[in-house]
Amino acid sequence: MERRAFLELLAATPLASAGRAEPVADRPPPPHYRVVTRFAPAAAPGMPGPFPARVIRTRARRNAAAAEEVVEPGVVREMMERGMRALTGESTTLAAWRRFFEPNDVVGIKVNAGGRPYCVTSPVIVAEIVRQLTTVGVRPSQIVVYERFYNQLAEVDYAPQLPEGVLITAAERGNRSSEQRDYDPGTYVEAQFFGEEDTRSNMMRLVTERVTKIVNVPNMKDHGATGVTGCLKNIAYGSFSNVARTHARGVTHTLSAVGTLAAVEPLRSRTVLQVMDGLNAVWHGGPFAPTRRYLFHPRQILFGTDPVAIDRLLLDTIDDKRKAEGAISIWDRSLSSLRFDNGAARDADPNVNILIREPGHVEYAGRLGLGEWELAKIRVEEIEV
Amino acid sequence: MSLALLVAVLPLLYWDQPTATAADLRRAGIERLWVPPERVAEWRRAGFDASPLTSNERSGRVTLKPPGIAARGDWASATQRPWIDANGWRYQRQPRARYLETASRGTAALAASEAFAHDADLVLAIDPGDLDKLGQALAFFRALPEASLPGVADLAVVDDGSFATGELMNLLARRNLLFRPVSRPTAGLPLVVELGSQAYPKSEAANPDALALKIRAQLGDERRTLRLFGSEVVLARLTGDAGRLRLHLINYGGRDVEGLRVRVRGQWAPGEVHVLQRGRRAVEAPIVQDGALEFSLPVLGPYAVVDLVAAP
Repeated sequence: MERRAFLELLAATPLASAGRAEPVADRPPPPHYRVVTRFAPAAAPGMPGPFPARVIRTRARRNAAAAEEVVEPGVVREMMERGMRALTGESTTLAAWRRFFEPNDVVGIKVNAGGRPYCVTSPVIVAEIVRQLTTVGVRPSQIVVYERFYNQLAEVDYAPQLPEGVLITAAERGNRSSEQRDYDPGTYVEAQFFGEEDTRSNMMRLVTERVTKIVNVPNMKDHGATGVTGCLKNIAYGSFSNVARTHARGVTHTLSAVGTLAAVEPLRSRTVLQVMDGLNAVWHGGPFAPTRRYLFHPRQILFGTDPVAIDRLLLDTIDDKRKAEGAISIWDRSLSSLRFDNGAARDADPNVNILIREPGHVEYAGRLGLGEWELAKIRVEEIEV
Repeated sequence: MSLALLVAVLPLLYWDQPTATAADLRRAGIERLWVPPERVAEWRRAGFDASPLTSNERSGRVTLKPPGIAARGDWASATQRPWIDANGWRYQRQPRARYLETASRGTAALAASEAFAHDADLVLAIDPGDLDKLGQALAFFRALPEASLPGVADLAVVDDGSFATGELMNLLARRNLLFRPVSRPTAGLPLVVELGSQAYPKSEAANPDALALKIRAQLGDERRTLRLFGSEVVLARLTGDAGRLRLHLINYGGRDVEGLRVRVRGQWAPGEVHVLQRGRRAVEAPIVQDGALEFSLPVLGPYAVVDLVAAP
């Protein structure tokens, strides 16, 4: 039986803003979203999961003998093990992973390869996740590393780090808007943003038909539309088709679209674990990282089941770095900073926006029930390795 | 069958090459063609049904731009909603006109498909390198089940013959808003658009895309007979009656579209799909819901035809 849900959006959501005196951009009214899915939510959906408002942040100490961006695989493994144990309260790493996964699960690992070559989900972290899943009893053939675009995955080349049998796949060969066969025609969000004719964004068949659980492994990145791209953006825009249509001519609807997509079943229920790769990060020009110019190295990995809480911390991480670099805030809505559709100007100048960013998408997702937005309510446990 | 009857259904090749290329034409399955007047005799001696494209014949034909995606970064996004040069609206506006077109390299099959979908009388000059593709398209058209059906429309456009009304038709077609050109306001369709009327002042025609969007909103997406999902570069022509529909799908993108989703309002049963360069295929994931039939096409090259019959 098909279940349909109609989301009426929060038209007058109070969202934080910079409050500058100069002319600022108005926020466009949100569109009407129609969600079509045949899937009912799990009894306890994966987002926000069993640990709402809880984030474990593991940090790698600097090795004076190594470059700033280098975190040894052994250190990454320890960060992963201690992070998972701290999140779950289990005494062993195996028990921690067993809280989320069973041997018969088919597990998707949603990586982020869009920031290739310099800021992508670390192959070392992906390899460690796969190792832990196999320790739980999940066979390599039941593990799928995925992205939307295969050309991005191919550039990162995860295969050498992974055991034979792990599937590395994508829904489209590249970002060409012509391949829909690996999206589910019966699971979609319908909305019109800017008068486009193709008003549907369909969920990947991999999510609806194959995997039973998903580990979401985003990076810490600035983003020209959403302010930052973390857990929410990675799982939402990385699992649906036809999402670039949400921004045009300096305006973006990501404020409401990111959370709306992330909340669609079965994506919401099946995304059970968030592992944010903050070993390397991008403070401007994201989600891309074609050069080292805007890279920085937080040397962190964050763990949780609440994507909103983790992304709330990410907002400050990116914005603090931008302030330290003398760049405008991700909350800046001044029209004087806007050079819409001018990626070259944005790449050259960290005080240029190509869209009025919507970092409020994190709060919005919180209001949809995906997690905890209020910083005071988020419990962060820090671990140094 | 006479040439006059054939041109009513199939586009015909204009070929200015000498008869030394006759074997190439035969390999492409082309035996009827237009040629320069001075070559008529030699082509007829070579066994072809050749007609002279005289200067009078040329001047009596409407010259068209070749179809395809155009680089118009100022007006359209290259990846999301590209600018399309299409001729379907012209064929609809002047269905009895005769047309002449020089297809740019790689677009012969697309140009022929546009004309065939609209039953247009087209003489098509092509790049010689596209001869096999054109021949393949013509053979495909000939092999299709016969279907002489009227156009299906959701709105009427009163055609005053102006450039502005033509541009509006162009943009309506770009959005797959099914329209019927009429000479005067007429009943029977949910919407009648007449530029210069109170509802559609001529000033609005200055931005025909915005006007087309307004008309779309007035019509309402749920009431549209046809919707396409999964591509912004496929334009459709829908013909039919109470018992059957023929949907022509023309892909201007230059690369295959995989998994195009089609929604046709009404009580229809999934039918046959004929895909140019791919052959006959079955529709995928058909579903009837909310008073419409939905299905996917596994793959769409330059052109495909979908035949639907009324659901029992």
